Amino acid sequence: MTLHTLNASPASAAFADCLRLLAAGDALLLLGDGVYAALEGTEPRRALDASGALLYLLQPDAAAAGVLGRIGSAAVVDMDGFVELSERFVRQLAWY
Amino acid sequence: MSAPGGKRLLVVVRHSPYSSSLARASLDVALAAAAFDQPVSLLFVGDGVLQLQSGQDCDALGVKNLGRLLASLPLYDIEQVFVDAEAAQHYRLDLAAAPLPTRALDRDAMAELIRTHDHLLGF
Repeated sequence: MTLHTLNASPASAAFADCLRLLAAGDALLLLGDGVYAALEGTEPRRALDASGALLYLLQPDAAAAGVLGRIGSAAVVDMDGFVELSERFVRQLAWY
Repeated sequence: MSAPGGKRLLVVVRHSPYSSSLARASLDVALAAAAFDQPVSLLFVGDGVLQLQSGQDCDALGVKNLGRLLASLPLYDIEQVFVDAEAAQHYRLDLAAAPLPTRALDRDAMAELIRTHDHLLGF
């Protein structure tokens, strides 16, 4: 299983490419503008939920964006949580 | 030649050739890995497939011709080159005329390719 990190808005080609290569059981950690892809009720969020990947947001970035109240059940991790994810998944791929 | 049993590196390239230095950097990484006998594969995804357009001519632009650099990769034992079939179709790309031989993969096959490599580098 792979840990993907996405640091680009859901309108970007990075998001579209990442979405196509997410496999069920992979994890996706949203960073920077990537956090907007988790907004509840939006098409990008629906697509991420349908991918079967585990969804995480990086706390400082989600807090800065002001979206922590709008991400539903998505998990939020701090920097230590990011490190734990990178330990849990054998490979990591950055989309930006 | 690639050392048997080495960690397998997959370089995922998703940027067009001349929009930034990322395309060039991805090929430099692949060449560096090959120089150290590390097994390396390339996957062109999304806009990255545009690097495979034939007939790139950079004389007027004054930058290195990435098409020519791609053509040289097999000389460095980089022969595992894969392409996002859907993106190639989207841009009506003629893969038979691409600078080097490639294998077109659908979405599931690309996901499988990712799973079968030890290290991933995205550009």
